[in-house]
This record gives sequence, C-alpha cells and structure tokens, in this order.
Amino acid sequence: MRSVLAAAMAATGLALAAGGAGAAEGERVQVTGEVIDTWCYYSGVMGAPEAVVGTSHHTCALWCAAGGIPVGMLAEDGTVYMIVKWKGEAAVADNTLLTVQSHELTADGILHVRDGINYLFVEEVVADAGITNETHEDYFVVPGFAIPEPE
Amino acid sequence: MRALIAAALAALIALPAAAEGEFSEGSQVTGWDNLAGRENATFTAKVVDIVCALTGDCPADCGAGLRQMGLIREADGKLVLVAKNRQAAFNGGGADLALYCGQTVAVDGLLVGNPELTDTKLYQIFLVKPEGAADWVKADHWTKAWAAKNPEVAGGEGPWFRRDPAVKAEIEAHGYLGLGLERDREFIEENF
Repeated sequence: MRSVLAAAMAATGLALAAGGAGAAEGERVQVTGEVIDTWCYYSGVMGAPEAVVGTSHHTCALWCAAGGIPVGMLAEDGTVYMIVKWKGEAAVADNTLLTVQSHELTADGILHVRDGINYLFVEEVVADAGITNETHEDYFVVPGFAIPEPE
Repeated sequence: MRALIAAALAALIALPAAAEGEFSEGSQVTGWDNLAGRENATFTAKVVDIVCALTGDCPADCGAGLRQMGLIREADGKLVLVAKNRQAAFNGGGADLALYCGQTVAVDGLLVGNPELTDTKLYQIFLVKPEGAADWVKADHWTKAWAAKNPEVAGGEGPWFRRDPAVKAEIEAHGYLGLGLERDREFIEENF
C-alpha cells in the first residue's frame, strides 16, 4: 500500500522539491532483469527494441555506458529501472557498470519513482546469470560497425 | 490512510499530462529525425543530479559529471532525466550539465521516447544558456572531459569509443558479444 501511495504522490508531483529539500525514502525492492542501454532502447536510434538488447547490442551498450548514458535494468514485464546508484556509489555515469552490461541480474535496492521514471539505487547484486539474451543470431550486431572488420 | 490515498489518486487523475509539443515553441534544434517520439523542447530549469533530487545527497559539483543528471523544469516542477548530449558518438549529458550544477538555465533539445515503451520521455540536450547570459552554449563538452581523463589515449586515431581503456579491457576479456573470445571468433569467421 505504501508503494501505491508513493507512486501516486510522485506521479502527481506531490513529491517534495529537489535540490536537498526533498529527500524521499523510496521503497525497498528486488528487481530481476537485463542490464541495458536505455537511450538506444527508448529512442530507437539503432533499431527496434528487441535488436538493442542482449549480445547483438553488447558492444554498443558498453560504449553508451562508458559515455555516461543512463544504464537501466529491463524487467521481464517490460518495466525499465534507471540505475542511479550502484553499491553505495552515485558516480555511475562512467565505467562503473561495464562489467555487468547485458547481464541478467537480480538486485536488491531502493526504488524511487518520480515523474514517470523508476530510479533504482542498487545496494547488492544477489544473482548474476551473465549474458543470457543471445540476440546476435537474429540481429547480427547493432550497429553493424560494432565489430571492426578483421585486418 | 485510506483518505490520504484517495486524495493522492484524485490529484493524479486531475493533473493534466504534459501535452505533446508543449515546450516546442522557440526551439532551434534540427536533425535526429529518426528518434522515436522526437519532440523539440526548450524550457527553463534548475540543473540537479538525480540522486540529489531524490534523496538530498547533494555534492556542490553534482558529482562532476559522474552522476546521472536532470533538469527540474520551472514550468511544472517535473524532474526530466537527461540521457544524451548533442554529440553523435554515444555521449551522455552529464559532463555538459555538471558545469551548471544548481544553476537555473535555459535549455534547448529533444524529448525522446518510443510511446509503445514509455509515457515519459528522456531529454537530449543540445544547447544551454545560463540565467542572464546572452548566448547559447553547445552541449558538446563530453569528449573534452573524456580526453582530460584519458590523456594517454586522447591523441590517438579513431573515435574515443575504440580507444577507451575500460571499454577495450572489457572487450579484450569477454569479446564484442560478451560471450567470450571463442564465441567471438566463431561469429567473426562465419560473418566477416
């Protein structure tokens, strides 16, 4: 019930103002999903959503994560959680998440919902199944230049 | 408690959703026409890092470009997540926005998001203008910040993402597909 209320308040803008004045508690959650590059997934810039997850898009996802583009977790029900904190560290817009990119993880953490976006503060990875979504057989690699031509 | 929930839900229903194109007037951004849900958007906002906005943990420099960044839109108080800058080489917007941490700025860019996947679009920032400034500044600071952090490879040939030490190390360890070097070798032999 608390989560319903929190979501409703966040969605209606009743969450307190940001910038220090509005610390919200968030909700403890456990999320299972694939670590994805959220820009390519939502924008379609590289193709259809199913082509920009898994192995076909792994290298591009590394590039985007290293570029500071928000990394997310895509749950089986289609919900995307933006990872904004990782094991206590808020500096995630760099190389922090490269080692888990495209992995299927189960993570414990705190969820904050604000203005339509799920922000996940990952505290602990309780399971890491590695890369399980082998999309390259269907979609090759996306973008096509992700793997350079052999010399 | 039930009354409080009812009031919150009533407010949710009553709150008008941001209309498509509500912030488009005056935007000078062109191109990127293939983006899903592409919508020009220029507005005034306070620059924040996301963790700060959500929890009150607010370093003075917004994490110096290493935290995910957002904009609290003056018109409606909404927190807009910034995902990209204007550069076309896999660059986020954090390095550009951290320069203006805590400031009120005008921004110009695109709201983007496949409507089949999300009701809430992400922001791609192209231009920033600090309050009181006369000129717009291009949001293309990312590669300069990367070069400063990686001086040993900054002057090399090719795009940054082929030279980035951490990306290279990950690919050298696990391959382009992430499945290991042997799977990479088989795939490349079959397809290249």
